[in-house]
Amino acid sequence: MRRASERIASFAKISLGHSVSVDRPSEAAQRVARFAHMIPPIILQLAGLSALNAAGVWIVAETALPIPGNLIGMVALYALLALGVVKLCWIETTGSFLIKHLAFFFVPITVGLMDAGSLFAAHGLSIVVVLVASAGFGILLAGWTSQCLIGKPRYPEGKP
Amino acid sequence: MTQFPMIAVTAFGILTTIGAYALSLLARQRYSSPMTTPVLFSTIVIIAVLLSAGISFSDYKPARDLITTMLGPATVALAVPLYKNREAFLRHLVPAGVGLLVGSLGTMIAAALTARLFNFSPELVSSIAIKSATVPIAVEIAKIVHANPPLTALFVVTTGMIGASFGPWLMDRTGITRPVARGLALGTISHGQGTAQAATENELCGAVAGVAMGLGAMCTSLAAPWIVPLFV
Repeated sequence: MRRASERIASFAKISLGHSVSVDRPSEAAQRVARFAHMIPPIILQLAGLSALNAAGVWIVAETALPIPGNLIGMVALYALLALGVVKLCWIETTGSFLIKHLAFFFVPITVGLMDAGSLFAAHGLSIVVVLVASAGFGILLAGWTSQCLIGKPRYPEGKP
Repeated sequence: MTQFPMIAVTAFGILTTIGAYALSLLARQRYSSPMTTPVLFSTIVIIAVLLSAGISFSDYKPARDLITTMLGPATVALAVPLYKNREAFLRHLVPAGVGLLVGSLGTMIAAALTARLFNFSPELVSSIAIKSATVPIAVEIAKIVHANPPLTALFVVTTGMIGASFGPWLMDRTGITRPVARGLALGTISHGQGTAQAATENELCGAVAGVAMGLGAMCTSLAAPWIVPLFV
């Protein structure tokens, strides 16, 4: 039983990030209460992020800039944080949560693979070759270039 | 699925997606391997569930659209790690900046060039060239360079899976050991999945990857309209 409760607690830790303490799994009820307490700020933060996204999309539509609208929203949020207009704590809970689970939001897009059977039947192997080769090449290029330019390591390996 | 109302199918699709994703997190905790990467694992589970329930992809589309509306705000939120780790990143601004530029342009040109050699259609070449930008940005770039957005998304996530699972392996074997360099390479090439992978290695590595994911996507979106037409 203890193992099961620990597993649930560690799952809560993965899905909720640092917002919830999971040191004592027996405090499950307390954690749920604390999470419920966080719902209003999460909704507000989400509204703020959505508003910035919508503003970015609107700017792109108005100016026909060759840049994605959400990227403008991201730059705008960075500028607001740097200027001190928006405090990090206003947006951090939801921001960190969304980024932690960024993978979740594009899972539905990959489910589209269901209908990509014919494309892969026609080009399958060559597509995989292109993707693997260009990813490996890019990783080596980016990694090597930056490592050579950094010079001596300032941080011991394996330590932040 | 005509015997069930669309709202039920949509709810089922959303619940299946959440369930599969939660399962992938548990699986990754217990058995960490390239096969338990959240996107790869969840996708396989969802497709299996949908097929066995007799739900086609077009029935799943409303659920997909609801979940992916969150991609926009999620991308905006990338400013948070960018801002939080600005000092760590600014310390290595020049090496990281050059690595980022070389990496994202290099992978774009390599992909476009090899795709061209395989005689892919222009739409396929454009779609594959921009695969290192994170999904929400890549689908927008796709519209600008006349690529196919769903196809682009597919290539982006496949690249994420390839880089996140085999990137660390490749860098171990080629002597790329510094956290900043590793994080930069993973974030630049494999965006979200690369960043998630980098964060498991080391905090600085993850932070740099998060920044590189944002800036790499920006770099790709600014360069793609000029570079992609050269290969199409």
